[in-house]
Amino acid sequence: MSTGGRPRYPVYVPEYPRSWWLETGPYRRFAAREITSMFAAAFSGLLLLFLFALSRGREAYEGFLRWLKLPGVVALFAVILVAVLYHMATWFRLTAHIQRVRVGRTVLPEGAVVAGLVAAWIMASGIVLYFYIWF
Amino acid sequence: MSLGDILDGSDAREVKRRERSAGPRRERRLLRRLLRPEPVFWGLFSAGGFVAALLLPIHVAILGIAFAAGWLPSRVLSYERVQHLVHLPLVKLYLWGLVALPLYHWAHRFRFAIYHQFGIVRWKRLVAVGCYGTAIAGTAVSAWVLLGI
Repeated sequence: MSTGGRPRYPVYVPEYPRSWWLETGPYRRFAAREITSMFAAAFSGLLLLFLFALSRGREAYEGFLRWLKLPGVVALFAVILVAVLYHMATWFRLTAHIQRVRVGRTVLPEGAVVAGLVAAWIMASGIVLYFYIWF
Repeated sequence: MSLGDILDGSDAREVKRRERSAGPRRERRLLRRLLRPEPVFWGLFSAGGFVAALLLPIHVAILGIAFAAGWLPSRVLSYERVQHLVHLPLVKLYLWGLVALPLYHWAHRFRFAIYHQFGIVRWKRLVAVGCYGTAIAGTAVSAWVLLGI
């Protein structure tokens, strides 16, 4: 306890349950957004396995390709795809919210920034597709 | 409870700042506060987020779904072609970024998910080292694998 003329104020320490992120819809969508990073990292790991199989020779590589065709693995990739698309949607919305793009004296509306990012995504996907299939 | 009790409870919970000395050690302390690694990892998190948003969907769709569904021509993932492509240095660099950057994105988000969503405060530094350490290890392993192809 302090003596002297310092003014004393009560400190507010908020207490909330550990499952606070399950309580409302916006909280759950926030938690889902954070979880999608795990699926992105999972794909990184799978890509690393692909490269590892490639480095070990033809047998290992073709075994990996056979493994890719298993229905369980395809289901895993489908889940990863949904998660990554959700990440993309939330990431673009967030970027538009954070980054103000000025043209002269006006600020572009957020929808324009999102549209620009979606256009960039389509272009990047097209380039990747070209290199995958026709290069 | 009287106001006096409430104020006493607040005082008991207050974390008093330690009296630090001025002098030569003060500059080292301030420098250490400036040169923290967090901004680097935050920048890598952001880069990983863009890679994951712009590039990952098409890669997942091609490698995971289209290949298994048979929508790709058969020579697309043939051993010779992939070997030839991966030997190009630009492709190696691209694949290294594609593998490594989303790991930093995960590391940053997972570290703060543990801190904020699960409320685990006690092992803050251990969690941070574990998350970013995993990402760094993944970067190193992917570089090693790619250099060995």
